[in-house]
Amino acid sequence: MKEYSIIGKPTPNVDGPAKVTGEAAYSIDITLPNMLYGKLLRSPYPHAKILSIDTSKAEELPGVKCVITGKDTPGGKWGLWRRFRELADQQALATDKVRFIGDPVAAVAASTEEIAEKALDLIEVEYEPLPAVYDPIEAIKDDAPMVHDDFPSNINATRHIEWGDVDKGFAEADYVREDRYVIEAAHPCAMEVHNSVASYDKGTGRLTVWTSTGSPYFVQQNIAEALKLREGDVRVIKPHVGGHYGGKNSTMPDAVNAAILSMKTGKPVKIVFNRDEEFTTTEHRTAQHMALKIGLKKDGTIVAFEAKAITNGGAFTGLGATTLFLTGTFITMPYRIPNYRYDGVRAYTNIVWGTSIRGFGAVPSKYCAETQLDRAAKDLGIDPLEIRRKNAVAPGYEAPGQYKFESCGIQACIEKMAVRVKEKWPNVEKDEGIGYCGFAYMSGGIFNWIDTPYAYSSAHVKVNWDGTVDLYSQAADVGQGHNTVAAMICAEELGIGIEDIRLHMGDTAHAYTDLGAWGSRETLMNGNAIKDAAGQIKQKLIDLARLKLGENIAYDLVARNKRIYLELRPERGLSYYDLVKDAIRANDGVPLTGTGHYTPHNKGMISPAYGMGIMAIKAKVDRETGHVTAQDVLVVHDSGQIINPLGARGQVEGSIHMGLGYGLCEEMPMDQGMLLNPEFVDYKILRTRDMPEIEILDVPTYEPNGPFGAKEAAEATIAPAAPALANAVYQACGAEFFSNVLKPEKVLKAIREKEKKDKESAKSKAPSKAKGK
Amino acid sequence: MKTITTDFEYLPATTVEEALDLLSQHKDDDYKVIAGGQSLNTAMKHRLIAPEFIIDIKGLSDLDYIKFDDQEGLKIGALATHRSLEKSPIVREKYPVLCEMEENVASVETRNWGTVAGDLCNADPAVDPGPPLIALDAKMKVASKDEERTVDAEEFALDFFETVVQPGEMLKEIQIPVLPPNTGAYFTKYSQIHGDYALASVAVSITLDKKKEACTNARIGLGGVGVKPIRAKKAEEVLKGKKITEALLAEAAEVAKTEISPVSGIEGSADYKRELAGTLLKRVGKEALARAQKA
Amino acid sequence: MKRELNIVVNGESYNFFIEPKTLLVQVLREMLGLRGTHQACDSSSCAACTVIVDGKAVKSCSILALQVNGKQVTTIEGLADGTNLHPIQQAFIDNWAFQCGFCTSGQIMGAKAFLDENPNPTREEIQAAMDGHLCRCTGYNMINEAIRDAAKRLQALEAAKKVPAQRAPQVQKWMQTAKSGKGAA
Repeated sequence: MKEYSIIGKPTPNVDGPAKVTGEAAYSIDITLPNMLYGKLLRSPYPHAKILSIDTSKAEELPGVKCVITGKDTPGGKWGLWRRFRELADQQALATDKVRFIGDPVAAVAASTEEIAEKALDLIEVEYEPLPAVYDPIEAIKDDAPMVHDDFPSNINATRHIEWGDVDKGFAEADYVREDRYVIEAAHPCAMEVHNSVASYDKGTGRLTVWTSTGSPYFVQQNIAEALKLREGDVRVIKPHVGGHYGGKNSTMPDAVNAAILSMKTGKPVKIVFNRDEEFTTTEHRTAQHMALKIGLKKDGTIVAFEAKAITNGGAFTGLGATTLFLTGTFITMPYRIPNYRYDGVRAYTNIVWGTSIRGFGAVPSKYCAETQLDRAAKDLGIDPLEIRRKNAVAPGYEAPGQYKFESCGIQACIEKMAVRVKEKWPNVEKDEGIGYCGFAYMSGGIFNWIDTPYAYSSAHVKVNWDGTVDLYSQAADVGQGHNTVAAMICAEELGIGIEDIRLHMGDTAHAYTDLGAWGSRETLMNGNAIKDAAGQIKQKLIDLARLKLGENIAYDLVARNKRIYLELRPERGLSYYDLVKDAIRANDGVPLTGTGHYTPHNKGMISPAYGMGIMAIKAKVDRETGHVTAQDVLVVHDSGQIINPLGARGQVEGSIHMGLGYGLCEEMPMDQGMLLNPEFVDYKILRTRDMPEIEILDVPTYEPNGPFGAKEAAEATIAPAAPALANAVYQACGAEFFSNVLKPEKVLKAIREKEKKDKESAKSKAPSKAKGK
Repeated sequence: MKTITTDFEYLPATTVEEALDLLSQHKDDDYKVIAGGQSLNTAMKHRLIAPEFIIDIKGLSDLDYIKFDDQEGLKIGALATHRSLEKSPIVREKYPVLCEMEENVASVETRNWGTVAGDLCNADPAVDPGPPLIALDAKMKVASKDEERTVDAEEFALDFFETVVQPGEMLKEIQIPVLPPNTGAYFTKYSQIHGDYALASVAVSITLDKKKEACTNARIGLGGVGVKPIRAKKAEEVLKGKKITEALLAEAAEVAKTEISPVSGIEGSADYKRELAGTLLKRVGKEALARAQKA
Repeated sequence: MKRELNIVVNGESYNFFIEPKTLLVQVLREMLGLRGTHQACDSSSCAACTVIVDGKAVKSCSILALQVNGKQVTTIEGLADGTNLHPIQQAFIDNWAFQCGFCTSGQIMGAKAFLDENPNPTREEIQAAMDGHLCRCTGYNMINEAIRDAAKRLQALEAAKKVPAQRAPQVQKWMQTAKSGKGAA
């Protein structure tokens, strides 16, 4: 692997001083002069017609400045699936009917938050409750209540993926098994709730919105559509964001209603959700039913695989339709599957909707596929790591018409895993087990249902007289550390230090488009754009240096350590700072600029590059309480050239926290569409004493499509945590699971069932067969 | 984010006398006593309660004590925080089970401001101090302006969020007698996440005879498996007078399971909590026995 | 009816008249504009709002402000000495102990109060002390490493104060390490 000055070196977060001193401003911290506070009135019914709304009493409450209902809004609908207009289905406030408990029907702006809340109590809404549907299998039946009028059978989206001949494959297989799963929803749980501040300038007719988002560009588009403004008249600023994890891609009613209220009152308006609103009305990870059928040769080679998914879409689209697509894609990775078929259906139901949460479809699908694989391995008498090694893809692997792995280190990862596991866990005690899961994940999406006409990422770099650099990008650091990565890439390309770079990130006024932080796209896509922009400037400096040095044309020049010099004769070069001054003089006094952009072309349907690897978890089961302890985690992964090892480690560990939670304790039980645990006291996430130690080993490769060989690093590692854990429990005690949350009661029940089954089969001595649930 | 939106008249007390006076004055009013407020403030934020008066006793430094003497045992004042109990050297020496219980109550930040007495008065059925205080035969001193009365620990809570403390009264002190020789006590709670509310919790105190062979006394407290902390008297009888073995503990556990009435919730079913209580009783009993043998 | 509140926050004295229902976090964020203290929950479950009152870490969202009358409050804004970061803050930066940063103020204040009480903690003691703090980004392990690192740095600074003159050069080196953040264990 190549050695760089900055790339690949542990680099402290450029936002560090701001974040550790409390100076970092999140949109929840922003206050403006004359600012009003907004609150939303929400439907108590999962499905109901709105017959009438009387806001008169609320309007009379002293301190209330404005009350609006659906009819008072510009009425534009918006969404992220803009390519299919009927799927851009969100509204600021419900007009004819409400579609989930929490669907907003009115908004208030008042001089204090408390008055705004009191005003909500004074709004009188008359509803006519309608029959509601909560489960997707029920929702697609003919007699189910219709959530949206123009969607027969409540089908929001379908997806079919196929290659090879699956039926022939199953016919040729020595072993076939089918399993069904019921996968539960989970919430991203960002520590900063959704919130926005909007300020409308009456004079210019321009709107500025600060919001906790993963994509200021999406918000800009969506607000323009919602308010029937021109995109250019909407400026969105992403301040520091307190967590996103895919739950802040869609523009939500806080931003849109704050904007509308600001337009009507002429004052800035701030809307902040309560934590229970965050749980009950913001996007979550989709619950779904899955049916998997796998066919293998008796030596463990996969010959055919078929997956079906019926997902609980909820009341709107968000990016949920994309998740449906990716569910059927990531489930195949990182294995060779010669014959494959996927059919997915996303159904509208009367609950809040599921979307693009971290892992983007890989999380539920890998849970099902990898726990199934362990059972198949057991039946075939093959070691679980060996069956994964056998089926792991090689570089250049192509899933016909879908994706291709250029850099691809999975086999090296598995080899490294095999060695390390023996060293790390030489003895497995009673009631302990080691579970594995292979994984791969995209580095940004190629699909463009968002229907943007713009390059997917773009960056603008300006070098000033004194050599300082201004880097402009709409890219979103939501905590994953992209600001630091951006500075590192820019600095490396120009051969200078991070201390020379000033970042201007996440503001739609300052820079060209970037689609935001989802699908692990920022490092690869925005990184390419930044490298492109900085590279243009570097070329100007190199050309000037070549002129000034007058060396043999055969020599190459490089930019490093704040100099431009001959690669083979490093002592012959010029100072970056001097060259910059010369270049500006030579450019009629215009600072050096570069505008870079990146959009993947000819890279398949999904992504230009994939991070991948294998995870192993050692777990212990308490057979009397059902408690599962994740004791230790080992990850071997290929993230190409890791840009910032500190940031990558942080992301891997954080994704494992979320993945383990998904597999142990996070759930969203509902009763007739009402969430029963809308606070952290009842929605359990793991705490520091619950987290195991994590060892991360790296298999560096070079990804030709990424900046300096980089690709995604660490969204991939969320999907394998829950299945590796479930497999560890399976290896420890044979308990099988067909759902994801291993709460102690469920584990105890599964253990007892296994013990019972063992007793019975010992009695009858019947041969064990592959069977589904 | 939520704040307290309902107004109340605020009545701070600086002496115990003042506090009891205020309680007497307002005993027919809709009032709440606040000490640390670690449960109360959240309840008000969620509009679960909206008292018209709040009598603030957090300033009663005279009641912020933990003292021990060889005759009367341990006395915990109403304003002693969870943290002060957790860190008290004398409690660690004499009643380590209380320190161990405190180490898993909520979080350090909650324990720094919230009081043991306040927690007991809030009366969540899974209140952590409940079972160990039953096991240690604690007595609660309840005071009003005119009188003081003493209530056994197992009688203190009546129902979900309801205690024997009447309007005009406050819990003033928790007294724990000196432990008889050859006594060992242990407590454990089970929750899937560390520090969380107990799915079930058990405290056992075992006293052995002079030869440390037979059990002369056993006290068993359980939390989270009924509408309030429960004393399992029948299970205690299984152990009394006998040499405690694992089999005997298992028998006691089965009996204890008949004395509790857990409620199903999203965190777990009643059946699971019942079984869990039995499992914990066996484990806790074994540890308590070991401590009694070492005592 | 409003009541008088006298508090010292980050070394400065303040006098307010507030409604009794006002929580400490509201005084800090809204009345004093100290927005480094954040709120991430409404059920006193997350400790993001942790500040230090008379040396103890407490949840500012769960305390009536009037109960803090006459007391000393330290928030995240009061930790650095001008532009010199506190060793705990520097350790958090050097160990990548935050990502989105929203829970970070609470984590640092919790760690500060803890290290003041227990300057040489084990990993288990750190975990037990910090268990109240929810974090969704880091998975906690890097936070614990930062706190252990901070403990070492603080101990080096303490040791420097007590060491006789002839050992000064070595102590100077310790102090440099402790303050610079390089060569952190």
